[in-house]
Amino acid sequence: MLEYVFILPLLSFAVAGVIFAVGKWLPIKGASAGIAVAAWGFIQAAMLFVKAVRGSIALPYEASIPWFSVGAHQLSLGVYVDGLTLAMLLVVTTVSLLVQIYSTGYMHGDPRFKRYYAYLSIFTGSMLCVTLTSSMLVFFMGWELVGVCSYLLIGFWFEKQSAAYAGKKAFITTKLGDLGFLLGLLTLFYAAGTFEISAIMEKAQNGLIPVALAGLAGILMFLGAAGKSAQFPLFIWLPDAMEGPSPVSALIHAATMVAAGVYMVARLYSVYTLSPIAMDVVAWTGAITAFMAASLALTCFDLKRVLAFSTVSQLGYMMLALGAGGFTAGMFHLTTHAYFKALLFLAAGSVIHAVHTNDMREMGALRHKMPITYVTFLLGTLALCGIPPFAGFFSKDEVLVAALSRSPFLFALGAMAAAMTAFYMARALVMTFHGKPKDAHKHDHAHENPLVMTIPLMFLGIVSVISGWALTRHEIFEHLVNFEGALPFELHHVSHSTVALVSSLVAVFSMVFGLWLYKSRPDIPALLREKFSPIVNMLEKRYWLDAFFLKIVAWADSLSVVLFSVDFNFLDQIAIDGWGWLTIKLGKIQGWIDTYIVDAAVDAFGTITLYSGRAARLAQTGIIQNYLLFVAVAVSIFAAIAFAG
Amino acid sequence: MMLSHYLAVSGILFTIGLFGVLTRRNIIGILMSIELMLNAANINFAAFNRFLYPGQHLGQVTVIFIITLAAAEVVVGLALVMAIYKNLKTVYVEKYNILKG
Amino acid sequence: MTEQIIFYMLTAVVLFSALGVVLLPGVMHSALCLGLCLAGVAGLFAALGADFIFAAQILVYVGGIAVLILFVVLLAGTKADLTTRQINDAWLPALLICAAFSWSFDKITRYFSGIIATTAPHPTIRAMAGALLGDYAVPFELVSVVLLASMTGAVLFGRRKAE
Repeated sequence: MLEYVFILPLLSFAVAGVIFAVGKWLPIKGASAGIAVAAWGFIQAAMLFVKAVRGSIALPYEASIPWFSVGAHQLSLGVYVDGLTLAMLLVVTTVSLLVQIYSTGYMHGDPRFKRYYAYLSIFTGSMLCVTLTSSMLVFFMGWELVGVCSYLLIGFWFEKQSAAYAGKKAFITTKLGDLGFLLGLLTLFYAAGTFEISAIMEKAQNGLIPVALAGLAGILMFLGAAGKSAQFPLFIWLPDAMEGPSPVSALIHAATMVAAGVYMVARLYSVYTLSPIAMDVVAWTGAITAFMAASLALTCFDLKRVLAFSTVSQLGYMMLALGAGGFTAGMFHLTTHAYFKALLFLAAGSVIHAVHTNDMREMGALRHKMPITYVTFLLGTLALCGIPPFAGFFSKDEVLVAALSRSPFLFALGAMAAAMTAFYMARALVMTFHGKPKDAHKHDHAHENPLVMTIPLMFLGIVSVISGWALTRHEIFEHLVNFEGALPFELHHVSHSTVALVSSLVAVFSMVFGLWLYKSRPDIPALLREKFSPIVNMLEKRYWLDAFFLKIVAWADSLSVVLFSVDFNFLDQIAIDGWGWLTIKLGKIQGWIDTYIVDAAVDAFGTITLYSGRAARLAQTGIIQNYLLFVAVAVSIFAAIAFAG
Repeated sequence: MMLSHYLAVSGILFTIGLFGVLTRRNIIGILMSIELMLNAANINFAAFNRFLYPGQHLGQVTVIFIITLAAAEVVVGLALVMAIYKNLKTVYVEKYNILKG
Repeated sequence: MTEQIIFYMLTAVVLFSALGVVLLPGVMHSALCLGLCLAGVAGLFAALGADFIFAAQILVYVGGIAVLILFVVLLAGTKADLTTRQINDAWLPALLICAAFSWSFDKITRYFSGIIATTAPHPTIRAMAGALLGDYAVPFELVSVVLLASMTGAVLFGRRKAE
């Protein structure tokens, strides 16, 4: 079964081609083909996962074929499957399948429906490439491909100026990180001499990679992860990426692509654990991101952006866990988060589909109009906030345990982020579903969505409730996804139950506080906004990060003006123009030589050819027998030579 | 009779044919002269076969092939002559110069 | 003795009729001379003991080619041909070249002088048949393709233009 796992990405790419080519004639304009392939992938992944949990397949599995060789380095195409791969595979295929089903309702009637599904299939294929590949080179290719798909899908409604702009912003910002990723990859190749993941892991664990190079490669590659997984300071693109269709946000910008950075760090964990500096960079960036993004979500009125900031914040958690040495915790949070965040986005998409606005100030009191959406959104919220016994509780708890065993400051940042998470989710819940309808017109037109959209919601709702409990039972997940190498630092011993108690108390308290505040005293938040207007302003400006990057662009702009003037006044005027003058003079001299010496010689040749041709033409009479005569003369001369001796 | 007798006959026949090819103005005459030359060669083949390799037949087989191909050549050649004659209304080769610039 | 008489008679027929082919002003006469010459060559083949070639020569050359040429002479001639010069201006160089060729042939002939037949001639038809359908079957078949091609070509050239 593992032998055929390589077919999954190829099939996705193939079906993208099929949808592009003949999607028009397929059922549901090609969506059926995409869904069929995604369903097949999901079944495969689920079966593999179950078998791996039961221990009936041998992991890690590796198979590859040679691709090409450069010098002594043999590059190959292949798959590398271990517990980590299977966890990611399950996430990708599940969310991809549900999103594709959901999209048949959400994108119904879109003029570029077929293209949308083709993009989704390409994205799924690329993401599976990233997940399954045995070579970091292919990993990088898949990494860039998901970036392209993200760009295409964010800007899917490119008629909207802001969507086109957001796609561009996402692409360029992640590209900034990808530059670091590429440099890091090359450093790693220099250090390890191979792109093969298994070989890199082996070398790293045997101490064959120098610590300094491993740290450098790790930090450079983490730049790429920061771009892709929206870490500080490159997370600015993710809120804007919400311009894309909501299912796309669920698939790409919540569950899979943004998790690719986390996955990359986990994939190369053997390299990261060599260098404590790299680990600290990962952990602190994660913690700061978790805190900052959570604070940014507090003042946001756009439902999807709240979720986007929440995603950034949770991705920060994952990085924090990985950097603090909690390998299993980070990947566990990735898995559970993928499900409940996809759920939240799909539910938000359902709301937006119904009321045609992203702004929470225009919603309210939707819980009776859209009961299924409301319940599933509530489940997702509880999971995200870390209320026991929902999925988020288990994973967030593990992350906080990992953070505390590394450093109390990391734990403090994480805990504050957790408190804010519970608060802003309560706020979003109340503003969207409770209270009084603020926009009567929109409220009247709101309605529950068709089953194709609600079934994925219900499925994900169930998963969000049980996945945390189910995966920690008998430590299933920990047995499957774990890291056996040594960490570069000592961990403090902490009490799991204390952390669990503290984190759930914090979450419950701040959630209840948020619910009370927005439900019973909606005047207080407005008051607070006025009182703390500088802070609110700072949050609304996103810590001036956008402005900061724009400043950099502006600064680069003015630098380019200076460079232009240098170029124009100095280089162009003196060097280029002087050179031009010299060239003209030389050209004139050369022209004289050309005319009177070279051309004359050429003409002489022409004349000679002309006259010799005229002479030779005398022999060409056009009479066959003259030619025959020449032939006979030649033959008789040869005969004479032959027989004279 | 000796081999050299036959060779002498064939040589003279070939020379006569060559003279004809070089001097006849009539295209049909030239074709006929070519036939003479081919026959001279045929005599050679048969004679060598007879005198030098009496037990073998390669010379005679070759003659058969030459006769056959000569027949083919004459057929095509005469067809061409007729086609040209239909267009140019002459059989004299020095008039066949419409390609001359 | 008889053999020599026959040989010289045949040689005389062949050479004189060949000269007639080349030198006679009337193309009609040339063609008739050609027929005679080819028949003489057939006689020479018989004298060489090549009975199958003798037969083939009579059938193909005398019976086929000579007749074909006669047809064409009849088709492609004008009255003016009888009064026009049939030999072109290059007869002198041609003569010189023929002299050079004759000299070469003389050399060759002298090289092979004194060789006489060691065995009596015997019928070769059976052996020829074996050779043509055995060792030379492939060339034999290829020749048939050539004949087919030439026949097609002749028909193509000879047919009237479709209007």
